[in-house]
Amino acid sequence: MTLYWLGDAVLILVVAPVVIVLLRPVLAAAREIVGHVHAIRDAARAGSRDLDAVPLLLTTQAQVRQTVETVASFGGSLDVIIDDA
Amino acid sequence: MPAAGVVLIIGVVLVIGAAAAFLLPTIAALAAIAKGLDEAIAAVGELVAKTEPVEPVVKDINANLDAAVDALEALLVKKAGLRDAMGLIESLYPGASAAGLRSHPDSGTIVPPRISEVYTRGTLTLARLGREAPIATASPEGPVLRHVARSLAATDALFPDFRPREVAAMPRSPVIGTGAPVRYEPTYTPGVRERMPGGGPGGTLLAMDIPRAAPGHGDHGEGASD
Repeated sequence: MTLYWLGDAVLILVVAPVVIVLLRPVLAAAREIVGHVHAIRDAARAGSRDLDAVPLLLTTQAQVRQTVETVASFGGSLDVIIDDA
Repeated sequence: MPAAGVVLIIGVVLVIGAAAAFLLPTIAALAAIAKGLDEAIAAVGELVAKTEPVEPVVKDINANLDAAVDALEALLVKKAGLRDAMGLIESLYPGASAAGLRSHPDSGTIVPPRISEVYTRGTLTLARLGREAPIATASPEGPVLRHVARSLAATDALFPDFRPREVAAMPRSPVIGTGAPVRYEPTYTPGVRERMPGGGPGGTLLAMDIPRAAPGHGDHGEGASD
């Protein structure tokens, strides 16, 4: 009977606190990770929204080509008009 | 049932209850993490998809801009000379000549003429256009000619008789305006003349025999930055 009481004491005074001490940081870490994951999700969504303007690069590409062609024509004219050094 | 057995059952129930109290929220948190990661992965997938065409487009833009920069640098060096080109760059963008020209790696070591210290852009343009301009004949190492505070004294020192004697022997600059010896009729198409001066047939500007300056007349302008 003494061993029963000793086992009960160990169960209540040792096992239960150890279980609590071990599981408490696990729960805290899990809850903390949730916040970080949500932050990552929000950042990725914001980055995706920022990249909605990427198709405008095609317009920029076309305009750069036109500008370079104009500069080339202008430079050719300058090459004809202005004397060399 | 003995009292010790009852206490044992109570103890087991307490341990299980404590574990459940912590494990259930942990499971809920892990489920939220999994859901959040799924959403984050989807957003990252959108990022990857949207950035995929950026590289070839930017490379094409850079290639076009590189070609334009190379052509303009080559034109500048051809027309102004490498040393004067560095002076012009320094005059427009102070400190930029240290980087040099891409097609001339050694140009960064050239000491740019002090164009920016002495002349304004307009004066420099006049020196280039009117080769007999007084500022084009002076050395940059000499007195400052167009400096706001010292221009009068420097000009007087250069032209004590107010007008150089050799000017009379120099050919006149082309006359522009109603008194010009050669006048063209107005045209409605740039570069194309309906009728050439003297009643000849029309043509494009490039096909015309454009009179050039007499040899030796335009040699003085180089002194503007030497």
